Amino acid sequence: MHFSFSSIYEKTKTKELIAGLALVSVAVLLNMVFGYFAMAFAFYLSFFKWDYIGSMKFVGLSNYKIVFEDIIRGIHGAPYLLSPFYTGLKNILIYTAIVVPIQTFLAIVLAAFANQKIKGQQFFKVSYFLPATTSSVIVALIFVWLFMRNGFINYILTHFIPGFQPIDWLNNRNYLLLAIAMVAIWGTSGHFMVSFLAAMQAIPKEIYEAAMLDGAGPIKRFFYITIPMLKPMITYVVVMGLIGALQMFDLAWVMAGANGGPGGAGYTVALDIYNEAFTRIRPGVAAAKSWVLFAIIFTTTYIFQRKYGRAVR
Amino acid sequence: MKKVHLGMLLLLLLFVSIGSGCIGGQQTVTVTQTQTQVQTQTQTKTETKIQEKIFIRFAGWSAGETEMKNYEKIISEFEEKYPNIKVKYEVIPQMFHENILASFGAGVAPDVFYVDSSWAPIFIEKGALHPISEFASKDFINQFYPFLLKPFEKNGKLYGLPKDWSMLALFYNKKLFEKAGLTKPPETWDELLEYAKIITEKTGVPGLAIYLGGFNRYVPVAVSNGAPRPWFEKPEDASWFDNPIVKETLKWYIDLYRIGHVQMVKEGKKPYVVQPSDVGAGWLGDAFGQQKVAMVISGNWMIPFLADQFPNFKYGEDWDIAPLPAGKAGRVTMAYTVILGINSKSKHVKEAWEFVKFVVGPEGQKELVVKAGHTLPSIKGFENDPDLWPQHKKTLSFIPMYNDLIVFLWGPKSGILENKFSDAMASAMRGEITVDEAIEIMKQVVKEELGG
Repeated sequence: MHFSFSSIYEKTKTKELIAGLALVSVAVLLNMVFGYFAMAFAFYLSFFKWDYIGSMKFVGLSNYKIVFEDIIRGIHGAPYLLSPFYTGLKNILIYTAIVVPIQTFLAIVLAAFANQKIKGQQFFKVSYFLPATTSSVIVALIFVWLFMRNGFINYILTHFIPGFQPIDWLNNRNYLLLAIAMVAIWGTSGHFMVSFLAAMQAIPKEIYEAAMLDGAGPIKRFFYITIPMLKPMITYVVVMGLIGALQMFDLAWVMAGANGGPGGAGYTVALDIYNEAFTRIRPGVAAAKSWVLFAIIFTTTYIFQRKYGRAVR
Repeated sequence: MKKVHLGMLLLLLLFVSIGSGCIGGQQTVTVTQTQTQVQTQTQTKTETKIQEKIFIRFAGWSAGETEMKNYEKIISEFEEKYPNIKVKYEVIPQMFHENILASFGAGVAPDVFYVDSSWAPIFIEKGALHPISEFASKDFINQFYPFLLKPFEKNGKLYGLPKDWSMLALFYNKKLFEKAGLTKPPETWDELLEYAKIITEKTGVPGLAIYLGGFNRYVPVAVSNGAPRPWFEKPEDASWFDNPIVKETLKWYIDLYRIGHVQMVKEGKKPYVVQPSDVGAGWLGDAFGQQKVAMVISGNWMIPFLADQFPNFKYGEDWDIAPLPAGKAGRVTMAYTVILGINSKSKHVKEAWEFVKFVVGPEGQKELVVKAGHTLPSIKGFENDPDLWPQHKKTLSFIPMYNDLIVFLWGPKSGILENKFSDAMASAMRGEITVDEAIEIMKQVVKEELGG
């Protein structure tokens, strides 16, 4: 009897189901292995002491104790080398507070411009979106070069602002995080612009027409129609932005270095997790730290969703 | 219709296979796996007596292009001599030991790999290294300098043989010294600092380059001024930092950069101490070779680099080597050595040993170390070899002047401690924390790392 996969496929009543499952199987498999399995294993690991070579030793909650001692020490003002997790957390919260609002606002503004029917808007769309397609490491390297003491950014500022003293952006602990935040804003606004553009094009034209008949100008239309209609999308973008910003690693790695640069000003939680796992050889503590970070991200985004995430119906 | 569906399914299968290829890492890997499977299958079928090729993976870090080429050469010589063994050479450029540890965690550690003396206890204690004393004869082991074997011994077993060794010396730029009116290299640590200031003033070139941090480069300063050798085995050993000599010398060493660079820049003066990146160089050897600094303290590995990268910057005419400056209690230098360790979990321990023997034995060292001018041979009897480079010979002639030769090892967790100490020192050098705070941090690190 001739037997083949295709003949079974032909006979099944639930063709769509089989096809659908087959199509998503790869993505699901990858997600299972690299997402959920990794998460579960990290949770398991966070209760053990291990150095990669020997056997794992169960230590209960002592890895979490190390993390919370670190935070308490930091609150009491210990130097950053003794409270790396606290330092990373402090920096990343400041960074998120700078980056997320600005990038969301910029993305809406850019989308509003790109949504106009003006000549060459396609060009603008492409040029805003380009940073999102570039590797973040390359972007960071280019900005390292621009932010140097005698780099392009200082050159522009000294020429346009009278009496401006050049800032050593990357070696000054007061400016390093700001420089990283600027790069992040530049790199991600265009990416979220596309989301807003899609949402704007879904807003029914009739609403705008009705508003125009009532005599609302373009500014009023933007604030009273566009923004409220974009609310679900704003929630989505802010949540995605929060998740991305709180986990920031690549920009800090390149622009500040593995140790977070001068005074640990560019140190992030993700950098600390990396250092814990691969330079201090404490994967158990690293896993505990990543779960603490997960808890922080989960609660922030959950609260935000609960407050603002209800779609306008 | 059937055809269309078949085509779609084929496409789907293709996607799945690509996906699984991604999961397996690289597709080439899966290919080789299937090949070996096929091989073993055919073997079980036909039971031929064909000798199977054995693959050994050998991992090291790179000290430059020349060294890598020399290793490839010696590997091909080895493969000619032992046709049934193939060696795959892998170079890990950064964070070498951390990478090897992580590969143990993933179960894909190489069969033969470098282990620096400072990391040896961690590997030995965890049983990651196969004892060499099982294979090597007494006579073979006795060819090596005994002080280089010490870090790799435990419970009467020896876990590796050093491939070479290096020690710190003072490299100085003769031309810049002449320009500054100096005739001889500095004799004491205080003179070193004084000379750095004079050279910067007279020539405009920074006098001295050091690394930011670098605990191992500071230890000779401490011990030559009368501090005991650092050794951290239990939390109480943090008291080493309470020694007044340690406090004083550490402050002196940190102030080299803190005052000699940070403060000078603040006051708008020319810094007399720099780190390599301040002058746009990758490391000390690079800064010295580009003649952007007058003095550096570095090891023998700098010698082939200078000869290779800066052929017009000549030893004897343009630059020279001197012993490390003396402290109040005499002269002390650091010695660095690296073994070729054999992975205890390797399936081909015997073949790995053959390779190690070939590389670290007299013939291998003659090629790789002596002729190539790479570093100092760890086997006795090459001191007067005509092939030994004069620069290396000169560093060997300093040995009688030193009261102590400290092999890079401060207890069971040296590698990790070195990283953390250097972070604290670098922070103090940049002026972010005081020297006392740095000392507090280092003590805390010792207590944390060795406390249970």
